[in-house]
Amino acid sequence: MGVSTSTVLRINGVRKTFANNVALAETSLELTAGSFTSLVGPSGCGKSTLFNVISGLLRPDTGSVVLGDRDITNSTGHVGYMLQKDLLVPWRTVLGNITLAAALTRKVTAQDRREAEENARRYGLGEFLHHYPGALSGGMRQRVALMRTLATNQSLLLLDEPFGALDSQTRLDMQQWLLQIWADLKKTVIFVTHDVDEAIFLSDRVVVMSPRPGRVVADIVVDLPRPRTLETLTDPAFVDFKREVLRLLHRSST
Amino acid sequence: MTAGEGNELSRQRRWRRVGALVLWSVTSLVVFIAAWQAVIAIFHPAPYVIPTPHDTYFAVTQNWSSIWPLAVGTFRETLYGFAAGAALGFFLAVAMYKVRIFRSLSYPFIIASQAIPIIAIAPILVLVIGFNIYPTIIIVAWIVFFPVTINTLDGFLNLDADLLNLTRVLGARRWRRFWFVELPGAVTPLFSGLKIGAAYAVTGAIIGEQADSSGSSLFQYQFAANNSSRTDLVYGLTIVMMAIGLLWFVLIVGLDHLATPWKHRPTSRRWRDRGKTASTPSLQNE
Repeated sequence: MGVSTSTVLRINGVRKTFANNVALAETSLELTAGSFTSLVGPSGCGKSTLFNVISGLLRPDTGSVVLGDRDITNSTGHVGYMLQKDLLVPWRTVLGNITLAAALTRKVTAQDRREAEENARRYGLGEFLHHYPGALSGGMRQRVALMRTLATNQSLLLLDEPFGALDSQTRLDMQQWLLQIWADLKKTVIFVTHDVDEAIFLSDRVVVMSPRPGRVVADIVVDLPRPRTLETLTDPAFVDFKREVLRLLHRSST
Repeated sequence: MTAGEGNELSRQRRWRRVGALVLWSVTSLVVFIAAWQAVIAIFHPAPYVIPTPHDTYFAVTQNWSSIWPLAVGTFRETLYGFAAGAALGFFLAVAMYKVRIFRSLSYPFIIASQAIPIIAIAPILVLVIGFNIYPTIIIVAWIVFFPVTINTLDGFLNLDADLLNLTRVLGARRWRRFWFVELPGAVTPLFSGLKIGAAYAVTGAIIGEQADSSGSSLFQYQFAANNSSRTDLVYGLTIVMMAIGLLWFVLIVGLDHLATPWKHRPTSRRWRDRGKTASTPSLQNE
């Protein structure tokens, strides 16, 4: 790591207050292109507030968000965004949901459909292209939601507890699946989770946050080798990281 | 499970459901007629108070050539009135959803419109507009628009806020969002409103026919039958009117079914979804 690595997202002193309640104390973060960063912390630590500021849904009290060399503070349509709720629309098929962003901004082209179909096939949704979301399992629905996020062709993806509602077995499959996509497509990812194992397993960097007011208390570089596999989860180095993060989380919540 | 099996399974399940529905409908009809018959057997009412099901049936069939064109007329009134009321109700809901000031301004008037006893103003409508089909169409539309507006507006206002936020993050354009997210999201309450409207449409048409005393209509025919103490025919005509209302209800339920395939099918069968992609018909994963 050094100053030479290209910074893709710069969060400069962002702060947000709701009715005299500081949801997010002044926070600055810089992300390098193609990195995978997790935010961990208890409820109320300002993770979702920070996401809503980056995505442009919330206007910060102070500070700015710069993507590449463009100031995107308070403007939407520049990042991919995904929540724990998959928010698939039940009346569109899997392909229809993946191309939803295109349909909402302009006419869906044959090219959009072809790309959506290729990605869906490559990442395990080939059997379900014409299924309605109602016919899919929770894991499959989250895959479709991520495909929809990817189809926006944004370089930065904000994933807010995307696997939070899945059982642990499915969750592990999804984590490996996500890492494969991330490696293939070279996206920059910010990932919010409550799950310390998940954060360390996925990330280059784990940012620990604490509540009242929401703020960053630690920023840990996770230099475990990639590709990461099931063995990584029991690696002594992994356990060391986990001990460190748990200690920081506990200290900050008491 | 492959996609094909899922389709087959759901098709079977669907037919079983339709079968059950028909079976229960027939059963309830049989129970109704049996109860009617039982009332007569127990209380022996005079035939001009409660005729037998048998007499009622023949009163209708023997006068069918007179009844049929009048029933078609009543159906036509409900058709025009329902179409006008549904369209008015829908566009009002859209305008009230999209323009907050319009919502606040129009809400009291919309509620007040239903507080007016329509029977009382029907003769006035006929006086103003004339002895033709239009007062009846207006009355039907007046009754139908209300549940459509109220339900559809509720549907719009209860759309998932996270979903609407997501459309903003995706950079959605206003009318594209309406067409692809907001409208399909409100289609179920829209149809609830249409179903209520369908059930009431015939009542509105009969009120109109009552006010237009010069016309030849189902109501005026029933009125004449009542005056000549043909109670069996009065009962039979009531059932005919009810049948028109039921027909409307079934039509709307069918339309709802066609408009919301995602509720009862695992996959889409629209040509646009299936045709344009270069996918192989094989359902296996390569």
